[in-house]
Amino acid sequence: MDKDIKILIVDDFATMRKVVRNLLKQSGYENVVEAEDGVTAMRILKTQKIDFVISDWNMPNMSGIELLKAVRGDADINKTPFLMVTAEALQDNVVAAVKAGVSNYIVKPFTAEVLNEKIQKIMEKM
Amino acid sequence: MMEYDNLIALLNSMASDILFLDGTNIDIPSTGKFLNQLDEIIKEAENVKVSEVKEVAQSLAGCLEKIILGTDEGAGLTHLVKGTSLMQEIVDAYKAGGAYHGDLGSFHNPDSPSAVASADSPSPVPAGEEEPQAEKFQIQDESLLKDFIVEGLEYIDEIEVNILNLENNPDDKDYINAIFRPFHSIKGVASFLNLENIRDLAHNLESLLDKARNGELQVKPPLIDVVLDGADALKTMIGSLKSELEGKGKTPVNIDLAALGARIKSVERGVAIITQPEKIGEILIADGVITEDVLEEGLKVAQASPEKKIGEALISKGAVTPKQVSQALRKQADQITDTSTVRVDIGKLDDMIDMVGELVITQSMIQQDLKNQLNADKNLTRDISQFFRVTSELQRVSTSLRMVPIKQTFQRMSRLVRDLAKNAGKVISVEMVGEDTEIDRNMVDEIYNPLVHMIRNSVDHGIEPPEERKKVGKPERGLIKLKAYHRGGNVVIEIADDGKGLNKEKILQKAVKNGVISSMEGLSDSEIYRLVFVPGLSTAEKVTDVSGRGVGMDVVKQAVEKLRGKIEIESVSGSGTSFITRFPLTMAIIDGMIVKVGSEHYILPTTAIRQALRPLRESYNSIVGKGETVDVMGHIMPLVRLYKIFNIEAEHQDPWDAIVVVVEGENRSKCLLVDKIIGKAEVVIKSLGSGFKKVKGVSGGAIMGDGRIGLILDPEGLFELSETIH
Repeated sequence: MDKDIKILIVDDFATMRKVVRNLLKQSGYENVVEAEDGVTAMRILKTQKIDFVISDWNMPNMSGIELLKAVRGDADINKTPFLMVTAEALQDNVVAAVKAGVSNYIVKPFTAEVLNEKIQKIMEKM
Repeated sequence: MMEYDNLIALLNSMASDILFLDGTNIDIPSTGKFLNQLDEIIKEAENVKVSEVKEVAQSLAGCLEKIILGTDEGAGLTHLVKGTSLMQEIVDAYKAGGAYHGDLGSFHNPDSPSAVASADSPSPVPAGEEEPQAEKFQIQDESLLKDFIVEGLEYIDEIEVNILNLENNPDDKDYINAIFRPFHSIKGVASFLNLENIRDLAHNLESLLDKARNGELQVKPPLIDVVLDGADALKTMIGSLKSELEGKGKTPVNIDLAALGARIKSVERGVAIITQPEKIGEILIADGVITEDVLEEGLKVAQASPEKKIGEALISKGAVTPKQVSQALRKQADQITDTSTVRVDIGKLDDMIDMVGELVITQSMIQQDLKNQLNADKNLTRDISQFFRVTSELQRVSTSLRMVPIKQTFQRMSRLVRDLAKNAGKVISVEMVGEDTEIDRNMVDEIYNPLVHMIRNSVDHGIEPPEERKKVGKPERGLIKLKAYHRGGNVVIEIADDGKGLNKEKILQKAVKNGVISSMEGLSDSEIYRLVFVPGLSTAEKVTDVSGRGVGMDVVKQAVEKLRGKIEIESVSGSGTSFITRFPLTMAIIDGMIVKVGSEHYILPTTAIRQALRPLRESYNSIVGKGETVDVMGHIMPLVRLYKIFNIEAEHQDPWDAIVVVVEGENRSKCLLVDKIIGKAEVVIKSLGSGFKKVKGVSGGAIMGDGRIGLILDPEGLFELSETIH
C-alpha cells in the first residue's frame, strides 16, 4: 500500500514524537509532520493535506479527544483517519474516543509492526 | 400507539446498519456508530418506559465495549444481530398494546445492567494482542535516550514548580493536571525505551495523582511529600542515565524503589478520605494555639473514642478553649467559600500599570498647563479635577492588582525547611503568621534568595540538633516562625528560630582577629550582632553543604539592600535568633528625599541616607591629592560635590553655607554636597527609557508633585563617578 501518505504526529512530548517518527520510518513511512498540541494540529490540518493523524490522548490545552472532536466536527477534514495513542486501554477513555469517531486506538508501548498494521487496516477502509 | 414510533425508527436504522456491515468483523468506527445509536435507544426507551429495551441495549453496549477493548470472546457480531431483533420484537409487543412477556435470556443482567459497560473506576484492561513482549520494543537509539533525558529533566523541574503551587492551592485541578501530565509523558516514553524502573515509578505517581484529580484523594502534605520524593527519585534515575550515557560510568541510584512504591500505595489508600478542606487540628497549629505534639495526643484520644471529635478531645484535655475551636471552625468554613478570582497574565498587568503611570504623567502635564492659563474655563477646571481624582484612584487600584499574598513564598520556605531539616538530622516545624500579607508580585522573586539564605542559616546554625535541645530542656522539635506584616509603607518579614542564639563572644573574637574592631569593649548588643553582616565574619564552626563557606550574611545584607530593604538581627542567647527584614511594598515606588542643587531637583532613596547636616567651617578639610573631607561627629568622610558630577551651577560652593547629606553606598559612606533639602516624598519610579539604560549614578526618573522631573540618584554609582572626576 501507499507509504507516501502524509502523517501528522500530535504529542506534547518531543521525545515521544521522535519515537513515533522512528517507528513509522521502520515501516517505510517518511512523509511525517509534527504538532506539539491540538491547536497547532488543527492549524496544520486546515492548511496542509494530511492523510493520517496519530495523536496522543494526554496533552495540555487541547487533549487528544478534544482534537478528535474538533476534526470530526469540521466538514473539510472530518474524514481524516485518526489513530489515538493511549497509555493504558482505560475503558472509559477508549469508549469515549470510539464514540467520538476515532478510527482506532493503540496502547503504549507499541512496536513498528503493530503500528503499521493499524495504519494499514484503517487505510484499507478508506 | 404513536409514542413508540421514534424508538422503532431508531431500531430500524440500527438494524439496517448492521445488515450493511461487510464481513464478520466490526471495525472501530462502526462500533462507535453503534454505541452512539445504542445511547439514543437507551434514552428513548427510558422516555417511553420500555425497560426491557433499555436492558438489552445496555447489554449490547457492554458487549461492543468488549469488542473495542479486545476482550470479546468472538460472539460479538451475532450477539449484536440477535439483540437488535430482540429489541424490535419487544417494541412491537408494546405497540400492540401491552407489555413484553418473553425472556431476555443472555441479555438479562440481574444486578447491574451496565456492569460490563462501566466499572466503578476505570481500570486498565489487558489489551490482548496489543501487549507486546518486552524485547520487541527495545529501541537502541542513543539520540532518543538523550532527548528523553533532557526533556524528562525539564518536565521534572516543571513538576516541582507546580507542586509548590498545588501545595498553595490544593483544590486547583489545573495544578494537579500540570503535574499529572509530565509524569504521564515520562512514563510513555520510558516504556518505549525499556526504562522499567522509571516507567513503574512514573506510573505509580500518575495513578496517585489521577485519584487526586478525580477528587477521590485529597491533596495533603503526605501526598505532596511523596510526589516530591518521587520526582526527586526520577531525577536521580534520569541523572544516572545521563552520566552513564556521557561515559562517566553508572552512578549508583541509592533509592529504595520498592519502599517508595509502597509509600505511594499507602498514601493512595491511606488518605483516600474526602474530609473538610483543612483539618481543625492543622488550623489550630497554624494559629499557634496548640503544638503538633499536643495535636498528636489529642488525635490518640479522639481515635480511642470515635464519637469524640478532635476539637472536643482537645477541649477535654484543656489544651484549647471552646472559643478557639469555634474560631478554627469558622476559618475552615471560610476556606470552602473561596472568593471568585480570574487568572491574568502578569505581563498584561505590568503593561497596564505602566500605561496608568503614563496617564498620571499626562495628568500632571495638563495640571501644569492649566495653572499657566490665567483665565481657564471654570467647567474645564472642574472636569479636570474630577478626572484627576479618577486617575489617582485608578493608579491605586491598578497597583493593588499586582499585589499577591506572601503565602506562596512562605510555603516554599516551609518545604525548604522540611528538606534542609531532614538533611541536617533535625526536627523542625514551621509556623506562619500573616501569610495573607500582600506584596508586589515583582518583589516575590527578588526577596526569595535572601530569605532562603536566612532560612538556611536558621536551620543549619540556629536550631540545635535534637539531643542538644533535649539536654538544655527544650522540646526536641525546633521551631522556625515566618511572620509578615505591613508597617509604615514597608512589608516586614521576620524569620525567627528558637535555637541557641548568636554567640556574642565568638563574634567579637573573630571581629577583633580580623581587625574589624579594635577592642571588645563598649559595643552594644545590636552593634555586636550587626558585625555578622561584615564580610568574612560567619560564626559557623561547621561548614555544611547548604550554607557553605564564603557566602555569609554579608551577601544577604547586600541582596536586601539592593531591593532598598533593611535587615536587623535580634538574638537572645539560648532562646533564638530573629532576622527582621523590611522591604518596600513594591519596586515601583520609592521613598525619597528631594534635594536641590542649583535649579535641579534630585531624589535620594531615604534608605541610603544616614544623616544630613550643615558642617562647621572647621570640620571641612582639603587634602592635596586626597580630595576634600568633612568631619561628621568624629568620622572623617570624603565630600562629593554633586554639582561637579552633573556639571551644573550650584547656589553655594562652600560646604558651611550648604548642606551635606551622608549617604551609604555598598560598603562605604560619603558626604554629598547639596544646596538645600526640599523634603520627603513618595515617587513612582520611571525608567529613563531604553535609550538610557545604564546611566551611572542615576537609577531612574520620577515625576514630582509639581510636575517637575527629578532624577533618582544611585549613591554607589555617584561614589564611583566621584572617584574618576577630579
